[in-house]
Amino acid sequence: MNTLAIALVVLLILFTIALSVFSRRFTRTTADFYLAGRKVGSFSNASAISGDYLSAASFLGVAGAVYASGLDGVWYAAGFAGGFMVVVLFIASALRRFGEYTVADFAYGRFGSDRIRLITVLAVLLTSLFYMAPQMFGAGTTWQVLVGKGILGMDPYTSGVVVVAAIMALYVGMGGMKGTTLNQIFQFWWLWFAMFMVVAFAFGNGFNYPKALADASKEPIVDTKAMTVAELTKPNPKTGKTPLEAAKTIMTPEEYAKVEEFVAAKSEGKIPVALPSKNKLHELRAMLFREPGHRYNKFDQFSMVLALVLGTAGLPHILNRYYTNPSGSAARRSTFWVLVFIGTFYIMAPIAGLAGLGVIKEHLASGGTIAAANVHGHLVKPDQVMPTLANILGGQALLGIVSAGAFAAMFSTIGGLLIAAASAVGHDVYEKYINPNASEAKRVLVGKVSVLFFATLALLIGLAIPKFGLDQAYPALIAMMVTWAFSIGASAFVPMLLTGIWWKGTTERGATAGIFVGLGSSIAFIFLNILQTLGKIPKEGAIGFLGSLTFPVLFTFPLALLTIIVVSKLDGQLPKNVDEIWMRIHGTAHERHERDLGLDKIGGLLGTKNH
Amino acid sequence: MTDTTARATGAPKVAHVRHGEHVDTIESVDAVFREQRKLSFTYGAIFFAVTLAIPASSVWWEAWYAKPIWGGFTANYLFVSLLYYVFLWVMAWTYSKQADKLDEKLAHMADEIAARELAEKEA
Repeated sequence: MNTLAIALVVLLILFTIALSVFSRRFTRTTADFYLAGRKVGSFSNASAISGDYLSAASFLGVAGAVYASGLDGVWYAAGFAGGFMVVVLFIASALRRFGEYTVADFAYGRFGSDRIRLITVLAVLLTSLFYMAPQMFGAGTTWQVLVGKGILGMDPYTSGVVVVAAIMALYVGMGGMKGTTLNQIFQFWWLWFAMFMVVAFAFGNGFNYPKALADASKEPIVDTKAMTVAELTKPNPKTGKTPLEAAKTIMTPEEYAKVEEFVAAKSEGKIPVALPSKNKLHELRAMLFREPGHRYNKFDQFSMVLALVLGTAGLPHILNRYYTNPSGSAARRSTFWVLVFIGTFYIMAPIAGLAGLGVIKEHLASGGTIAAANVHGHLVKPDQVMPTLANILGGQALLGIVSAGAFAAMFSTIGGLLIAAASAVGHDVYEKYINPNASEAKRVLVGKVSVLFFATLALLIGLAIPKFGLDQAYPALIAMMVTWAFSIGASAFVPMLLTGIWWKGTTERGATAGIFVGLGSSIAFIFLNILQTLGKIPKEGAIGFLGSLTFPVLFTFPLALLTIIVVSKLDGQLPKNVDEIWMRIHGTAHERHERDLGLDKIGGLLGTKNH
Repeated sequence: MTDTTARATGAPKVAHVRHGEHVDTIESVDAVFREQRKLSFTYGAIFFAVTLAIPASSVWWEAWYAKPIWGGFTANYLFVSLLYYVFLWVMAWTYSKQADKLDEKLAHMADEIAARELAEKEA
């Protein structure tokens, strides 16, 4: 039991709840609950957006992806950061100037139909749920590593998922956007500090970036996997070689003897094995750490970059944050600071992944032990590199800082997602269609009930992931699942937002068709990929090709964009007040008027009750 | 409180939105929109060209992805892990500054329109 580490996590949780209780006094209207009163300054908003954005995928997943895959893993970090360029260039200020609550509000205000508002709500909910899934999975696996024991008769994974869902429901429901914003600011800086500490400890222990990279690239990357007897003895249809034979080529005789014994005894369960890696990009080259190709073939090299870069602009919980800026210009400034904050974080994450490779191997080679499953000097689950590295470098104190950072990353992102999902139901459906005359108190209450509902849904998703065997099927599941959410957002929202903001000729029918096509096609591709990875559909033929597309954005984004353009051209029915809408998106009279009245001033977040 | 006396006639030539003393006309907004679009899409083209050049080079340019230039760093690794962020920061900063200038231009244009309207009323 890691007493000090657990104590730090408990402190983080208590502080989080305390902040929510504190901010409860300032959450009286729906603008407070969903938008923190639209008075969040650039620095605070940039910190909160960064907290919203940096999830378990960034904190645990990026370092894990680099640890397992080298350069292809580094792309996660660069792509995650690059996405904000699309936001700042094409979306940030226009979205803020439009001055609504949610993405669905934008769709309704821009195109003027209930149909587009409702399909946008559906897309928001699906994207949020896809994004919530890896956060909940991260909660379960972090609890496994940190606590190692279950509570109330549950296993460790289930305990982690249940505890995080319960805390999230409590603190988001209580604090609304203000509480969540305050928490996200704190949580972002905590996890930035945690990443910094790990990297600082690594350099303090003699880590040399160029040399470590050269050392890691001396031998080909080693793949690790926990396998059953049946999997170990099943020949590869192309090479005719079994994984057991492949493992023999790189495992030491002692390590391999254990695997042979496991197979000979026809044991139940799985045993970790080390396997030679394959270069998917340059098939004749050895798969070195510093070179591309461990994860992505030629197609995926482009598709993955586009998924990450375009997906950021399609994440509803990030887009909602832009409405909390006091002006369009402030929205751009916030995005610049986000790039600085998360950029420095993403420069450090791959360093931690690389440092983990050398430090863990050396630690095991010198007779040290680690809690996480390992084989041939490598972790079986790469997502565990951050806590394992922290424990080796800084003992329980650093493990505590990192564990609290991991929970902070999950809390901040799940908080944003719960607010986005709750606003989609509470604001976009309840307030607009079910009870438009509801009192402010009742509207806020519906928002809180929605938070509770989605926290329960997140809990069920978290519990379902291992049941379907997804954690075994994908080597770095957290980062992978986040990329799916990015793909859906990039395909469903971004074409609608880009055309809605930059092309006056976009019609309601065009935009609706585009969202429908983008949403449907991206989800269909993702499920095909899951089914193929689980061995439910063949790898050959047309279905096999479509199922092999890890990141469908290269197809689904242009498809949705083209749909909007073609349907709009054929339709030609522009909203009657299209000029008024245009001036609302691109004009600044409203902002200038607010500036005259002093309403553009930031503040209120930490205590102004009257605004 | 925010004055929300916005109105629009629906006829493009006379459409305008007024908030307190401040007016946006469709002509002024369209003019600045065109400049804003040029600015955003120019920066966007540079951003996507550089971003997509990285995987393209990873596929077709061996010296980029295989030749170490500093310890274990290849040009590819160095750019993706460090220099790409500097590129993003410079792009975002310069873009934001130029976009702010365009906002000021729109404000100036709108003030001129408001002054002209006032003069017409007085006449």
